Amino acid sequence: MRQYLNQVTAIIWKDFAVELKTRELFSTMFVFAVLVILIFVFTVDLSIVNVNEVGPGILWVAFLFSGTIGLNRSFMLEKENGCLQGLMLTPIDRTALYFGKMLSNLAFLLIMEALLLPLFMVFFNVDLFRNLGSLLLVILIGTVGFCALGTLLSSLAGHLKTRDIMLPILLYPLIVPIAIGAVRMTSKVLMGEPLSEMWNWVGLTLSFDIIYIGVSIMTIDHVLEE
Amino acid sequence: MNEETSAPEESGHVLFWLTCAGLATALWAIFLFVPTEKTEGAVQRIMYFHIPSAWLAFFAFFIVFVSSILFLWKKDREWDIYAQSSAEIGVVFCSLVLITGPIWAKPIWGAWWVWDARLTSTLILWLIYVAYLMLRGHVESGSARARYAAVVGIAGFLDIPLIHFSVLWWRTFHPKPKIISAEGLGTGMDTTMLVTLLLSLGAFTLLYFLLLGQRIEIEKTKDEIDHLKKERLYSH
Repeated sequence: MRQYLNQVTAIIWKDFAVELKTRELFSTMFVFAVLVILIFVFTVDLSIVNVNEVGPGILWVAFLFSGTIGLNRSFMLEKENGCLQGLMLTPIDRTALYFGKMLSNLAFLLIMEALLLPLFMVFFNVDLFRNLGSLLLVILIGTVGFCALGTLLSSLAGHLKTRDIMLPILLYPLIVPIAIGAVRMTSKVLMGEPLSEMWNWVGLTLSFDIIYIGVSIMTIDHVLEE
Repeated sequence: MNEETSAPEESGHVLFWLTCAGLATALWAIFLFVPTEKTEGAVQRIMYFHIPSAWLAFFAFFIVFVSSILFLWKKDREWDIYAQSSAEIGVVFCSLVLITGPIWAKPIWGAWWVWDARLTSTLILWLIYVAYLMLRGHVESGSARARYAAVVGIAGFLDIPLIHFSVLWWRTFHPKPKIISAEGLGTGMDTTMLVTLLLSLGAFTLLYFLLLGQRIEIEKTKDEIDHLKKERLYSH
């Protein structure tokens, strides 16, 4: 067990080391997310609609789009220099490889989201502190589901020539439950409703997380097989 | 022709004629036997195509799911062929659901499309399996294609209940299920309508198996041709 954890942390550490060196992924994701928000501000007339209803949608679209960029990039790097080959030659369990990649993707996305939230607060004049604990929890469980399925599919799409296009095409229809649930929950939380009012959504999102981590554990051997 | 090949051919013929008879009976029932619905009029008859197509699409995707699991377990090309063939048929019938729905909805609801729970779920389902088929198109044939497709086939089907509930809590206007309702089996519907619907369901199910058999046959022939080509190539 201890060894397994060491393997997982080694992969996470590797991803952070690469990122600290290249500084490619994170800046791209963040700037892209800001641009997505900006485009929404231009296309949706915010003087007519209620920000508490539209804001969470815009926020999550920014999270999911820039998250997709992150997923694509993270496996591209593995492929480019034959890093994935090297990882697969090491005597570690494939699931450790999955959890390492999944957790590093999750960490990048969460840091990006943490930086984006203050901007969101400023741009849309939303009070995030009223229900901060619930808000962070909602964002966490939504992002875990996205990364759980996203890492599996990006490790699969990473082998294709058309990986940049195929990842979103495979991923977006499947994350509909997360997209709807996370936006609903965020919107309710921002309007001051307690988490106990939305157990159905919390349960649904948590089941999504568990189901796709489970599916990934069962199938990752077949995806990373060469 | 030897014994082994003539036996499935024989059963194929039986299935073919059974399907023809079933579809003919269903068509007769839909257009001549069943009375026109009082409030909705003639357009209501599209239901007898709409519901069986939806059932078939769902059943086909279930077969994709089962075949995908069996493929990853047994690593037998046979199951990969089943999954692919069933996915193709499922997408065709799912498209039919998405086409027949708006034709009915325009005169009844006054709009081609509303973002109702079931319409939305069906559209997402269609997108998932179109993506599945695209993925198959983007990988060269072989073990990798079958493995990736199987993973998506499993992930896609497990998402259906989650999509169902998320979209249901999001919104719903679709007519409530009429056959299996809370009041008991078939109480929401006139007997002649129920019989017609069941006939149509039966005929469509037969059609599914007929198409599946044909599609599997084509895929196997393709495999055989590839095999022969390679054999020829290396024998010179």
